[in-house]
Amino acid sequence: MAGIHPETELIPYLRGDLSADERARVGAHLEGCAQCRQSAEASSALLSNLTQVVEGVRDPDWTEYRAGLKRKLRARQASSATMRGRLQRMREDLRLPAFGWPSMAIGAAAVAVLAIAIVIHRGSGSLPAPGVDQLELQQELSSADVGLLANYHVVENLDLLENYDVIEHLDELGPGNPQNNETPS
Amino acid sequence: MEPSDEELCRKIAERDAAAFELMVDRHQGRAYRLATSILGNEADARDVSQDAFIRLYESAGRFDGRSRFSTWFYRILVNLCIDHQRKNRWWKRMAPLASPGDVRDERAFDPPSSEAGPEDEAMLKQSISRLRPALAKLSPQQRAAVLLQTQEGFTSREIGEVLKCSEATARVHVHRGIAQLRKLIANE
Repeated sequence: MAGIHPETELIPYLRGDLSADERARVGAHLEGCAQCRQSAEASSALLSNLTQVVEGVRDPDWTEYRAGLKRKLRARQASSATMRGRLQRMREDLRLPAFGWPSMAIGAAAVAVLAIAIVIHRGSGSLPAPGVDQLELQQELSSADVGLLANYHVVENLDLLENYDVIEHLDELGPGNPQNNETPS
Repeated sequence: MEPSDEELCRKIAERDAAAFELMVDRHQGRAYRLATSILGNEADARDVSQDAFIRLYESAGRFDGRSRFSTWFYRILVNLCIDHQRKNRWWKRMAPLASPGDVRDERAFDPPSSEAGPEDEAMLKQSISRLRPALAKLSPQQRAAVLLQTQEGFTSREIGEVLKCSEATARVHVHRGIAQLRKLIANE
């Protein structure tokens, strides 16, 4: 039969896990497609055997299982309680004593005053003016930068010039690889 | 009248120990069997399924009731199984003496006796004994998808919810899993 084989829908079809429309479509396909019918039959037999595998799992000793679960749960609760205790202690450690806040405020104010004094002192002092030589040097450097900008389209696309073939085969590059000794053409 | 799983879950969120006991009673067999089928090992299945119940106890309050309780719980269980397998993968690489089939604990399985004749039963046992190592060769997602469908009777949508993927992807997992099993058995 022409058309796409509904491979992924065959098992849902067998298990009644399709909508009415899907079921009708897959059913119609199966009527005319021996390949899909055969596949569905083989899958059906396999699913049946799989159910036997799952049903064949032996039960453990449930009393022991439950005792183990209780032990784990108790250990987990104890661990959580310990963790909560630690967090609480950390919070308490971070808490400052009653006189801590005024002391911190005074300290911060002192630092601020010192910083303002330094700024004022620097502002009032005359900084040496740059020499003529220094200015020329700065101008030269700036013009060199502008020269680069003349070729901006090259700079902009530098990343496109990267050889991705080399990057992709980096793992093949190594001192022991004879290919590396070849002279590039 | 028996309380529903969803009601029990609400009570567990309020730390009702009796509700938790009842929930474990109700689901321990299925959870253990699914974990054993996925992990292929009794001891690991016991640990992982117990961990899933502990997660259930701790996070019952997060169950929002938008999906069935079993879908939510099996998502926890299957994720723990998959995580467990990922964590132990390095160890399996370090133990090349064991073939993939040896990784599974054969003692964990005891094929049920059927009413069929001895020859049919022998064939069934042979078929099942070939299926177990083949199952172990599937990816964790495929194995979980196939087992959720066969064991739990989950729909493709529910499998998608458990595996956090779309319904279509869940169908693909099941289809590929079954196709792979058929191929592996045919090649033996």
